[in-house]
Amino acid sequence: MPFACLRLRLHRTILSSFLLLLAAGIFVPATPAADKLTIYSGRSERLIKPVLDAFTANTGIQVELLSSGTTELVNRLKAEGERTSADLLITNDAGSLELARTAGLLRPLNMREVERAIPAQFRAPDNAWVGISGRFWIVVYNTTMVKPDQVKSLLDLADPKWKDKIAIPNSGSEYLQAGVSVIRATHGEEKTKQFLLGLKSNADGQVYQKSSQIVDAVAKGQVALGIVNHYYVYRHLATQPTAPIAVLMPDQQEGGMGAIMNVAGVGIIKSTKHLESAKLLVEFLVAQAGQKLFADLDKEYPLHPDVKADPALVERKSFRAAQVPLTKLAELREPTLTLIEQVGLR
Amino acid sequence: MNTIRHQLASPLQLLALATAGIILLPLGYVTAQALSADPAVWSRLWATRIPELLFNTVSLAASVAVITLVLGVSTAWLVTRVEFPGRRLWEGALVLPLAMPTYVLAYVYSYLLGFGGPVEHLWQLAAGPQARIFSPHSYWGATLVMALDTFPFVYLLSRSAFLSLNVSFEEVARACGVSRLSTLWRVTLPLMRPSIAAGIALVILYVVSDFGAVSLLRYQTLTYAVFQQMTGRSDNTAASILSLLLVGLALIFLITERWFRQKSRFYQTTGRYRAPQRHRYGWLGTLAVTGYLGLIVGAAFALPAALLIQWSLSPEAQATLDSRFFGFIWNSGILAASAATGGVLIGLPLAYLASRRPTLLNLGCLQAAYAGYVLPGPVAALAVLVLFTKLAPVFYGSVLILIVAYVIHFLPAGLQSLEPALQQITPNLEEVARTLGLGIRDTWRRVTLPLVRNGFVVAWVLMFLQTMKELPATLLLRPVGFDTLAIRVWMEASEEYFQLAAPAALLIVLLSLPALALLVSKDWRAT
Repeated sequence: MPFACLRLRLHRTILSSFLLLLAAGIFVPATPAADKLTIYSGRSERLIKPVLDAFTANTGIQVELLSSGTTELVNRLKAEGERTSADLLITNDAGSLELARTAGLLRPLNMREVERAIPAQFRAPDNAWVGISGRFWIVVYNTTMVKPDQVKSLLDLADPKWKDKIAIPNSGSEYLQAGVSVIRATHGEEKTKQFLLGLKSNADGQVYQKSSQIVDAVAKGQVALGIVNHYYVYRHLATQPTAPIAVLMPDQQEGGMGAIMNVAGVGIIKSTKHLESAKLLVEFLVAQAGQKLFADLDKEYPLHPDVKADPALVERKSFRAAQVPLTKLAELREPTLTLIEQVGLR
Repeated sequence: MNTIRHQLASPLQLLALATAGIILLPLGYVTAQALSADPAVWSRLWATRIPELLFNTVSLAASVAVITLVLGVSTAWLVTRVEFPGRRLWEGALVLPLAMPTYVLAYVYSYLLGFGGPVEHLWQLAAGPQARIFSPHSYWGATLVMALDTFPFVYLLSRSAFLSLNVSFEEVARACGVSRLSTLWRVTLPLMRPSIAAGIALVILYVVSDFGAVSLLRYQTLTYAVFQQMTGRSDNTAASILSLLLVGLALIFLITERWFRQKSRFYQTTGRYRAPQRHRYGWLGTLAVTGYLGLIVGAAFALPAALLIQWSLSPEAQATLDSRFFGFIWNSGILAASAATGGVLIGLPLAYLASRRPTLLNLGCLQAAYAGYVLPGPVAALAVLVLFTKLAPVFYGSVLILIVAYVIHFLPAGLQSLEPALQQITPNLEEVARTLGLGIRDTWRRVTLPLVRNGFVVAWVLMFLQTMKELPATLLLRPVGFDTLAIRVWMEASEEYFQLAAPAALLIVLLSLPALALLVSKDWRAT
């Protein structure tokens, strides 16, 4: 009996010390290893992880990735303040980066590599955020259902003839918010409102969380048209070359607004304790090798002037971009959200 | 004796009060934030989103309630009142859908019924190449998925009601010349009303607070809208307003059910004197019954499970089974174990005090703990988030905040087995141990704990299981490097990478099965 008792006690000691260890392990925030970067990323993990893996392979610096919504991550950084474990913020939208910068979350950068690689209009004035790849908000259409000359401008999509034939992203999407901001800045409040009301009624239930789903729906013929970022179309075509879809670059007509451009970008968090490693990552992303990864893997437009986009894409020189500076997207955001809510987009 | 009890009770009392406070505070904060919001935000939401969201939520709950009522009661009746080959097998199989999280079922059905999916192909063979079936991304799609997933609640409660019903009532009716069908309608079903109502209430609360299925099926409910507001806006005002409405709605359902149960309470003075007789069916009847049950279990469990297995074996899915994947399993396990342990530790003083010293205060604390019932995942996340940023911002982004959200959210599920476990042991036993000279601690260790252990295990398993499947709060609050299996399923499935989502989904289902068996065996009576 005493033996059993002893064994029980031993058993219990082991168990409780194990539990204690476990508790210590998860509740006490681990001090991150010296060469490990924590990245909050608003981009889909699928689109950014290969590039970060290449960085780890090159430099030996490990990367811990938290993938979530862009706005959600900016909210989170604001709440975490100085205590955040994040070293960098990567987003799918320049407006969000600019908002993070004005909230004082990002660290201004003085890096020759950045200034040489990325043209000034694609980064913050103090380089607190730097664009890493360009994307256009385009119309994807099913080639068996729509002729390319049927749509000239994004605003045409509000026409009742597209009732139930169009798929759009939900109103939480930062692309949509940026796109509507640019339309507002170009065409004014009232015209934008009419456009959104028409779009809402045409899309009805076809409001999607993810752009890849919109492209999928267009490819299957579930809807005739969709509004997405261009690379989702080319990524779909890369895996399914026979899909009946094509890109229509909108608003290129005489006096038109031009296609709506946005950039994915990166910023270093002000309180980072791994500044050198973080700078190395930024350098990697803007250098030719990194830019080529975005061009080849993600089908985005590289921002580095010497790196060529994928040849399948519409030649960048052949179309015009809208004339709204990226940094303005931040101040346009709030009234845009109010308008979106008034219209009642999902 | 009394003084000793007081000594024992006061720290416990404080603990219970603190727990109730921790649970109610977040709710209070969200309410305050919603009520102090700019009236312009309220009126804008009323003018645009709220009517649609309320209508969608209520109509989904209503249709799912009706369908689960039919499915649950009819299947329960078949396995208790009819004898046919394989009856015992079906009796167990009908519980299986509970192992399938709603988001897994939703993603399987968005493939099966999706545009150009297999069901549509079949239908086109019959009805011509242009024929279309209803989209799963709709009211009916959400109804189908939620009903298939939740009817076992009604089935389980109806089944035990059918079994414990005193057959004398029915026999009297039959002896008085009432037909078999009429007896069922006029005697049996009315007697079962409390059980059925309890099952339906569970279903409705489940539907109202579900996030996974409605988000994958793009059906706009209040819960989904709260999540969208939290992730798409830089301030949480609108999310708080919608949360408050959601909590109000859930409360209405809960109170209605309680009231209904109070009103229709039946007493059986004696136990049943024999088990109800089973009607024996011929081969035609057997065929029909087997077909009916097979269709339900097939649609709700067998077919989705088979697809998950098939997808998991595909090369694409196999490629994801690396060390990262095992990290997700570990994360899921450790989070669920912490939440379950935390829940038991927190629930214990509440349940103990309420059963040993049922003062108004203690009962109130216990009721407060049930608030989690009306706090759907995104709302619990929002509440905890708001609370921590106001009171203890240090913990923001840590595991603790996530675990607190889990505990608040799932404590009611745990309390439901802790409470009866404690109530069942009479205080006399403890008093005897004390008079025989055992100290307070030893009494606890050697008398009380062994007696309530089973209830604890069940509570722990239940909370573990729920936490492992939890999606919205995890999405919103997870710290860096804490992706769980549920997160992986949702991330892949929401981009329609069905194969890649399958291994994690299958694992969740497999891990849920033993837990489900344990829970069901607790009050499984086979006769």
